Amino acid sequence: MTEANVTAAKSEAGAVPENWKPHIVALVCNWCSYAGADMAGTTRREYPANVRMMRFPCTGRMSPLMILRAFEQGADGVLVSGCHPGDCHYVQGNLVARRRFTIFRSLMDFIGVDLKRLHFAWVSAAEGHKWAKVVSEVTTSVQEAGPLPSFEHPEGWGGIDLPEMTGSGPQELDEQRLDAIRANLRKAASEVLTTERAGVVIGYGSGSLPDQTHPVLITKTAECEKLEWGQGCRNNLGAYVGSALEKHERVAVVAKTCDLGAISGLIREGQLRRDQLLVIGVQCPGVRDGSGLATKCLSCSGDPHPICDLVVTVEGVQESCEDPSAAALDTPDARDEQIAYLESLPHEERWQYWQRQFGRCLRCYACRAACPLCYCSTCITDKHRPQWVPTSIDHPGNSTWNIIRAVHLAGRCTGCDECARVCPADIRLDLINRKLSLEVERQYGKIGLDPEEKSALVDFRMEDSEEFIL
Amino acid sequence: MESSWKLTDTQLRKWLSGLLDGNSVVAPVEEDGVLLFRPIASEDQAVVKPSGKTRWSPKEFLFPRSEALYRYNFKGGTVQLEDPPVPEEHQVLFGVRSCDASGLVRLDEIFLSGTKDRLYAARRENTTVVSAACAAADVECFCTAVGYSPVGEEGSDVQLVPLGEDWMLRVLTDKGRDLVSDAGDGWTAATAKDGKRIAELEKSVAGQIERSPVNREWSQVLEEGFEHGAWDRLAQHCLGCSVCAYVCPSCSCFDMNHEANAWCGEQCRSWDACTFPLFTHHASGHNPRETKQERYRQRVLHKFAFREEDEDPFRCVGCGRCVSLCPAGLDIVNTVSAAVEAIREEGADAAR
Amino acid sequence: MPLAEAVPNPYQPSLVRIHDFLDETPDVRTLRLQFVDDNEAGGFAGWEPGQFGQFTVFGAGESVFALANAPWRPNGDRASAPTIECTFRMVGKVTSALRAMSKGQVIGFRGPYGNHFPVDDWKGKDLVFIGGGIGMAALRSAMLDVINRKSEFGDVVILNGARSVGDMVYTDEMPGWQEVDGVEVVRTVDPGGETEGWDGEVGLLPNVFEGLGLDPDGRIVIACGPPIMLHYLFLSLGKVGYSPDQVVTTLENKMKCGIGHCGRCYVGPFSVCRDGPVVTWAELNELPKDY
Ligand SMILES: Cc1cc2nc3c(=O)[nH]c(=O)nc-3n(C[C@H](O)[C@H](O)[C@H](O)COP(=O)(O)OP(=O)(O)OC[C@H]3O[C@@H](n4cnc5c(N)ncnc54)[C@H](O)[C@@H]3O)c2cc1C
Ligand code: SF4
Ligand code: SF4
Ligand code: SF4
Ligand code: SF4
Repeated sequence: MTEANVTAAKSEAGAVPENWKPHIVALVCNWCSYAGADMAGTTRREYPANVRMMRFPCTGRMSPLMILRAFEQGADGVLVSGCHPGDCHYVQGNLVARRRFTIFRSLMDFIGVDLKRLHFAWVSAAEGHKWAKVVSEVTTSVQEAGPLPSFEHPEGWGGIDLPEMTGSGPQELDEQRLDAIRANLRKAASEVLTTERAGVVIGYGSGSLPDQTHPVLITKTAECEKLEWGQGCRNNLGAYVGSALEKHERVAVVAKTCDLGAISGLIREGQLRRDQLLVIGVQCPGVRDGSGLATKCLSCSGDPHPICDLVVTVEGVQESCEDPSAAALDTPDARDEQIAYLESLPHEERWQYWQRQFGRCLRCYACRAACPLCYCSTCITDKHRPQWVPTSIDHPGNSTWNIIRAVHLAGRCTGCDECARVCPADIRLDLINRKLSLEVERQYGKIGLDPEEKSALVDFRMEDSEEFIL
Repeated sequence: MESSWKLTDTQLRKWLSGLLDGNSVVAPVEEDGVLLFRPIASEDQAVVKPSGKTRWSPKEFLFPRSEALYRYNFKGGTVQLEDPPVPEEHQVLFGVRSCDASGLVRLDEIFLSGTKDRLYAARRENTTVVSAACAAADVECFCTAVGYSPVGEEGSDVQLVPLGEDWMLRVLTDKGRDLVSDAGDGWTAATAKDGKRIAELEKSVAGQIERSPVNREWSQVLEEGFEHGAWDRLAQHCLGCSVCAYVCPSCSCFDMNHEANAWCGEQCRSWDACTFPLFTHHASGHNPRETKQERYRQRVLHKFAFREEDEDPFRCVGCGRCVSLCPAGLDIVNTVSAAVEAIREEGADAAR
Repeated sequence: MPLAEAVPNPYQPSLVRIHDFLDETPDVRTLRLQFVDDNEAGGFAGWEPGQFGQFTVFGAGESVFALANAPWRPNGDRASAPTIECTFRMVGKVTSALRAMSKGQVIGFRGPYGNHFPVDDWKGKDLVFIGGGIGMAALRSAMLDVINRKSEFGDVVILNGARSVGDMVYTDEMPGWQEVDGVEVVRTVDPGGETEGWDGEVGLLPNVFEGLGLDPDGRIVIACGPPIMLHYLFLSLGKVGYSPDQVVTTLENKMKCGIGHCGRCYVGPFSVCRDGPVVTWAELNELPKDY
């Protein structure tokens, strides 16, 4: 469905016409950069005329969606410009924006957008000369990068083989020990219900296909016998806590170690209070994904984490009340090698790799539905005034959706991998998420389990790095 | 009408390769580890096997995920409209499993009934379906439980029947005959014994499907128990995505939106699903299906109830995809039987 | 390609121009539209009261509105060229874009769609039209048809209800309807919605209707309004002694295609755009509660 959208003439693959001039969209803040550009005009400074400007109140108002929109509509490059740190008309809009763009930029690079097309600059109202200089530099840079590659299926592209992922995984639990855990879990759950520590226990019940389970919401002790435990317990049950709280004052949730990050995220983000929740951590044998152990399990011990209220192991059930702030997730990850490999490839190849995957996206929004942290009551894709994410199920809109989903979770996602597991198109959403958490960690420190902490992308420091900003 | 031949795998591939001349051939291919229908450029890309199905159905080649219904541009103070061209190249859907071929017929019942859909009609007319009967069931398959068959002929113009290493090729319609005008090099006429294999296959695959059949009388029960409390319990873990509908060979709901910029735009049709809250949400804020349970019930009932005539088939063709791919492990057949059981035991009006 | 050529594109609208409009309330406007191309006007088959059309604002999308003027009879004496009228409330994307358009601008129209009110079956009977808010729009075509040939029908009562005085539609036309012999117009606003000098009724539609004390015998009730109003109205109607086949209403499920394909307007096996929107209360009772 791209014909209507793409107004810029696209050249055939590889062949850039000789007199080709890039289309560049500049998103500028009203207070500084727009005035700076105006100044450049009134002082008659010469600069290339390829840039179309769009005015916003503040860089803090600019969302990556707007940049993506520009690319979808045929821009070859985008420049984002606003007030210098400390000069924001709204005090800190540009400081939050700086973090957001740092992260977004790394993702664009990862999916194969040459960073020669994406620029950020601080230009004050007095810096007409700087505006002219920035525009020239940006124009030259985008000219070098050439026309934006098409959003389309890379016909005839052979694909790449990512390095095999390895890891030892959690300790094996034979059927006998699983039985013991199951029995302990059922006992714990029924005690929770009888002692009214919670009105409902969210756990797993056995499914209809081999090795499949499904979430169950148990309110009666007799039903606790339905609770399952094993390698088919895939869902992150954190996704059900919100709706369960509509009916019950306190909710108990069965959790694997990998589920806990998102659950503390919900507390951190004010979606629920710690005292509304009773976390039952269970010793995990790892979950299966397809024929083998899921990727996330390769580097996980499976041991229940101290932030849980109750801990269920082969031995029994114990209360746990260690200080959650001391806890941090152990995050070596089997995927990191794949990420490094992808990053070693040229942009064009990465673009093809991701376009082929994004092209498969059906826009079923299972990734959103399964994610405990995708709790917005109205998702950006369901808003249509304006329609930021195109409704057509095709490469440009799919790319925007897959990127913006990840961006909205950057600094929040702790890698439960539910989104990637449920994706019917096997899009490697896990690689994207992991890439973003690595970047957040590198720039702003680890995402922990402490519910008191602020998410990295709603926070800022005056001294945050900004080496990429002109 | 019927003519059938016996082909070796190599002969089949050779025939497939010949089809590429003058047709757009769509066949199962493996992409990043996912088996999908895609237009192929050469015959060796196709994955044609005696059993196993693609991740989702081939319906998108008749009913694309998104397409322009018409285009417009703003010129000289008025609007100019443009009909999208109808596809011209003949299309062959190759290696379609029997359930999926039936799914296409279920789509026909929607798009070609009443006011016909122009684009769909054109594509349909321009498409020949070469189906492949199944020699084995996948774990999730249950076609025989809902009145379909692993060797079903519905929707096929040509049918390939696996005979061990070889294939039997059966021409079932005129369109099929246009595709197979003559026997290819080295094809031999299929024998009566080969013909018998069809019934044997059906029996052996049916034997692998353990689910008990969905009874046709249940439609009535489901309709009567529309407001039964069981629905609330049975679908409380539905997450409200649309995996089920989008992978389904017979789900046909769609949305229409304008995608436009300041100069031009199009009325774009895209897949949509009854499991999404916006599907029925009125602009006033009223929503007839407020909860995900009500929405899931709609999906189930649209497959298994609300049939106009008693002899009408179920709209679920039993491919099992929505069962194996549901993120929350919902099972449409188990839901139906559990609902029917609850409605019968507790009465149609048992409160929510 | 015989089939492809034989099947016209059901989605491509005709172009119609905004000939005139009237602002009924701050958020409700009535448009009068004329076909841009006279040939298309000629090909347009007219409509029956109760049918609806799909109206396109290019760039924003399509919206469903009832055809609100009296039916156009090609060889009748009413109008020489078809004019289409609709009354819409500004609630969202398309309706806001439509509201922003001015006279002379071009929009799209396709239709008519759906079934219609069985106006001819009402001959000789007394009629009550009950419209809540924008629901009046769906009744206007039938009302005007009846008023235009009033002698063929019995007494007509029109009950126009709105949340507040400022929200009442068709205030300009109501005096004209009232002038016709045997037509009585009753206006009512919800309690709290009245202003100084309001000379109509104050009360919820179902209550006001009950207060009129109209004898159910030989009378047809045609009602249209929000689901909650209809719910209470049906309770009142039952209480007063109307039987379900004396009551006609319209369903307004969300719809997109208008031709029974897109799937969203289904109520069980009933497709509102194809089999509706007009239904009797009796028919409604047969359908699952899914509207
Ligand atoms: C038979 C019938 C007759 C009618 N007659 C009239 C009439 O005479 N007068 C009148 O005023 N109204 C009438 N209506 C109601 C009218 O059709 C709606 O009020 C109108 O279509 C609202 O359109 P909108 O675009 O302005 O509203 P919006 O709310 O902007 O959009 C309409 C729908 O789009 C959905 N939506 C929201 N976000 C998205 C998104 N991101 N992507 C896709 N969809 C989205 C919403 O759920 C909403 O239901 C009638 C309806 C029917 C069914
Ligand atoms: S984005 Fe994916 S991995 Fe991250 S919390 Fe959500 S579902 Fe889990
Ligand atoms: S789950 Fe996969 S296919 Fe579905 S919307 Fe998400 S990325 Fe797309
Ligand atoms: S049934 Fe499963 S696939 Fe379907 S909407 Fe619910 S969660 Fe999604
Ligand atoms: S409802 Fe499920 S099992 Fe039935 S045809 Fe559709 S996807 Fe297959």
